[in-house]
Amino acid sequence: MRRLGARLRYLLRTALRGLGASPMTSVITVVTIAVTLLLVGGFALLVSNMERLLDRFGEEILVSAYLEPDLPDEERRALALRVQSAPGVESVRLVSEEEAMQRFREGSAGQASLLEGLDENPLPASLEIALTPESRSSQGLAVLVAALEGLPGIEELGYGSEWVEGYARAVALIRSIGLGIGAVLALATLLIVSNTIRLAVYARREEIEILRLVGAARSFVAIPFLVEGFIEGSLGGVFAVGLLYGFFRILLPGLEDGLEIFLGFSKPVFIGAEAMLGLIVAGAALGTLGSGLALVEGRER
Amino acid sequence: MDPAHPGAGALVRLFHVSKSYLAGSWALRDVSVELGKGEFVFLTGPSGAGKTTLLRLIFAAERPSEGQIIVLGRNVGRLGPGGVPALRRRIGVVFQDFKLLPRRTVEENVALALEVLGTPRRLVRNKVFAMLKRVGLQHRRFHRPLSLSAGEQQRLAIARALVNEPEILLADEPTGNLDPELTIEIMDLLVSAATRGTAVFVATHDAALLERYPRRKVRLEGGRIVEDVPGGRALR
Repeated sequence: MRRLGARLRYLLRTALRGLGASPMTSVITVVTIAVTLLLVGGFALLVSNMERLLDRFGEEILVSAYLEPDLPDEERRALALRVQSAPGVESVRLVSEEEAMQRFREGSAGQASLLEGLDENPLPASLEIALTPESRSSQGLAVLVAALEGLPGIEELGYGSEWVEGYARAVALIRSIGLGIGAVLALATLLIVSNTIRLAVYARREEIEILRLVGAARSFVAIPFLVEGFIEGSLGGVFAVGLLYGFFRILLPGLEDGLEIFLGFSKPVFIGAEAMLGLIVAGAALGTLGSGLALVEGRER
Repeated sequence: MDPAHPGAGALVRLFHVSKSYLAGSWALRDVSVELGKGEFVFLTGPSGAGKTTLLRLIFAAERPSEGQIIVLGRNVGRLGPGGVPALRRRIGVVFQDFKLLPRRTVEENVALALEVLGTPRRLVRNKVFAMLKRVGLQHRRFHRPLSLSAGEQQRLAIARALVNEPEILLADEPTGNLDPELTIEIMDLLVSAATRGTAVFVATHDAALLERYPRRKVRLEGGRIVEDVPGGRALR
């Protein structure tokens, strides 16, 4: 037990000394990990906001079921309940004739003349049906439309199938680009980090050789390097999150107006706590793995 | 020595060992030699005779191309990955180029040999101080090896090799950089290790040293043992 304690203390001390012994190499490793993870994090930030944006667009995919005129209120409500249980329906909202007119007025401000001379409200009442995220595709839409068609009380269905198709394609595209670029970035990060650490190990090959000559076991030689890689990687991850947040705060005010105009959506959101923790864990894993790779390679030589 | 089992008490036994780095050229050829507990043996011969190769084979830095090497009861040619470090922890080696860690202090360099054994820190400190005192480097313990003279570095290398009281001590030209006065001090250290029971193998081509210390001499030439002369004085 005493021996184990002595060993653990030695290993930790050696790892810390290793960090201090070649501060430049350590700094370069930490910065490399931080910069590469910053790219990954920036990309994750972009993708998560794109998805949020798509979600918002998706919420606007509505099917309008125009009701037969003179349908009594009870039947309207009963119909709404039936529609609610149709496949792919997230929510149903009853829009009365009056509300339809109100919306029309608001939507055509300045063109009030259009409504002049009308004695009665020509707009029908309708059910506004929102789709669940999974059904926001042409197939989902087709299934819902088939279920709604022929329901008594519904006169006509209104929906933009082209818009839905375009939306579904955009979602698929952004997801696959996200996965593709994410995978390339992750691989590049691993390679860059393991190369940087390999240089650090190479710089200390003499020390490794001497340790082996005095009878140090493999783990005794390797663990301090792995601990070093872990510490450097974790620091790199923390810095990456900090830098990402810094950039986000600094760049956001400049971008907000542009985003508002083009996308008409609310403020971009920073990556969540899980993603932040993910970056730090990824840094620690990269640092440790990079050290491990460098050591294995050093042994083969 | 037990006559029924020749070499039974030996700590190092080489049986017809050959070592070749390049096909057709032999660094060592058919070498058989034994080294017993507490024995002090000079390994002599001109440069390139195979002295360093022989020492490297004993601490498993090389594997024999032919023959068997038994060190501390282990067949060196058949050691697994964990066996090599375990064997080296029982052998002290003084390298010709010292192999000191430049970024660590004198004290830390010596401590290394104990730390790989998992020796508790306080014990490490005491043993290291006592060892540095024996080689006369206690006042230099916080210096880095590169700030020491060649002679001091040599003594540091010896201190590291001896600090864990190894069963075998291998020294490659341990007095190569020392003036005559220091040479005597260092030789006294090595001899006293043998008196304590360590088997000591010293490679040297220093004729004066061989004359002054009438010990067993194993002479290598062209990779072969050409002479094995018993010492003039018994050590045990």
